[in-house]
Amino acid sequence: MKQQIRQIGETQSVCPVCLQTIEAVKSAEQDGIYLEKECPQHGRFRTLIWEGNEESYLSWDMENTAVETPVLAKRMTEECPKSCGLCEEHKRKGCCVLLEVTRRCNLNCPVCFASAGEKGSESSETAEADRCTSAAYGDGSGSVEEACGSCHEPTLEEIRQQYVYLMEHGGPFNIQLSGGEPTMRDDLTDIIRLGREIGFTFFQLNTNGLRLAKEPDYAVQLKEAGLSTVFLQFDGVTDDVYQALRGRPLLEQKMQAIDNCRKAGIGVCLVPVIAPGVNEEQIGSIIRFAMERMPFVRGVHFQPISYFGRCGQERPEKPITIPRILKDIEEQTNGKMKAADFAGGGAENPYCSFHAGYQIRPDGSTKLMAKKSGGCCCNTTSDDSRKFVEDRWKLNIQTSFTETVFSETSALDAFLQEIHQRTFTVSGMLFQDAYNLDLQRLKRCYILEMDPSFGMVPFCAYNLTDAEGKYLYRRI
Amino acid sequence: MAAEKNYYSIDPKGQLTCRKCKVPLVKGKAKFMYLDNGFPVEMPVCPQCGFIYVPEELALGKVLAVEKALEDK
Repeated sequence: MKQQIRQIGETQSVCPVCLQTIEAVKSAEQDGIYLEKECPQHGRFRTLIWEGNEESYLSWDMENTAVETPVLAKRMTEECPKSCGLCEEHKRKGCCVLLEVTRRCNLNCPVCFASAGEKGSESSETAEADRCTSAAYGDGSGSVEEACGSCHEPTLEEIRQQYVYLMEHGGPFNIQLSGGEPTMRDDLTDIIRLGREIGFTFFQLNTNGLRLAKEPDYAVQLKEAGLSTVFLQFDGVTDDVYQALRGRPLLEQKMQAIDNCRKAGIGVCLVPVIAPGVNEEQIGSIIRFAMERMPFVRGVHFQPISYFGRCGQERPEKPITIPRILKDIEEQTNGKMKAADFAGGGAENPYCSFHAGYQIRPDGSTKLMAKKSGGCCCNTTSDDSRKFVEDRWKLNIQTSFTETVFSETSALDAFLQEIHQRTFTVSGMLFQDAYNLDLQRLKRCYILEMDPSFGMVPFCAYNLTDAEGKYLYRRI
Repeated sequence: MAAEKNYYSIDPKGQLTCRKCKVPLVKGKAKFMYLDNGFPVEMPVCPQCGFIYVPEELALGKVLAVEKALEDK
């Protein structure tokens, strides 16, 4: 029987070999939607981007009427994605910004989008970083190229400059402290305090949790400094998963890290990287594990594995798509959470993410909260999303109203506290690689990497690598 | 320009007075009702006409948060 193929859309992408911008088409085939493109030099490429028919693909989209332009946007000098920073063609001003405070890491994972910790042992990296602190780092004292990008660690002064830059370019944003492993820096609390002084209000720590587990007081110190939430790398509920993705068993440390955050009163979001054949079968177990630890564990944020940076996994013919992971969630939670509960991102491109919020009743049953995208929320902006992220992942509720001798509103407080504590969020983000990169999606990206020489660069552009593993923006 | 409609006045000491009844507001019981949910609170009320003073930061803070949470369910 002849296979039915129908073109349903056009966009632009890049050649996975040389990263040249090329035209691409989306075609509906029997088993899903494919992105197809042809590089004059390196030939044709084709990859699955959606499992499901044309109707299901198109119905996931929500027309977003909100218009945003980046603050102090750069002029576009080269074809997208080569003049990022952000340029005038970008459609979002930004929501979350990653500050990479170190390149050091106390793990050397087989999978790492940032290719962190490649210089060898922890101690040798530290020494190397120390030697480089006098090198230029986009602070006007020299060119970035002079600095050793692979080991340089920004000083507090350089981080202050980055904060100021962000404020001038549309801030405050939600700050993600990232790396490398950000807890390798002993002055992380100073970095948070500095950001608060400058006017940022939400600080998320992206961490493997090893230091949180090892030092019981560390979470308390971070909390006191103003940390809002911990995004904990948490790939599964058995150690074979950690062995495969992280190179060693880590479950015990993960549990300890969660417990130390609980004691410190910091909300934790579990962040599993999902790799086909490794931990795709543990999606339901991870959700159950998280729900059992509410309200301190606020939810799960899935990240299907990205085939860029250091990726020890071979890119399969059919990488994980949104419909596939939603089907996994439904099946593995025995229908407690349904694929239909989920909506695509509101402010970012809907095909980049999915999320659903639930109220968990005392008997353990779930009740879906209203969808935050589509319908009446079609004009969601970066600022709306920034607030949404803050509300969902932070543990405490704060309102500006204080009781007076004339008022007593504890019933409202109790209700809000209960709602907050019973709220559980399941979400995920599908990063793009050179195979499935869709520049229409990229232009609406609001997860940005702060780079001292380029400015703010969309995450998927910053981490894009060619066939030889060479980055477009990141220096290693 | 239309006259601003004020139901209360604040004297230099911060004392709230009902403009209609000319009597000081006192702490009294009230209830916020929204979507079949009731929240008993105590607010400054006029002992004569029952006028309840809801501070702006309360209306735009906790009360708005409760409304959003209820709509979300």
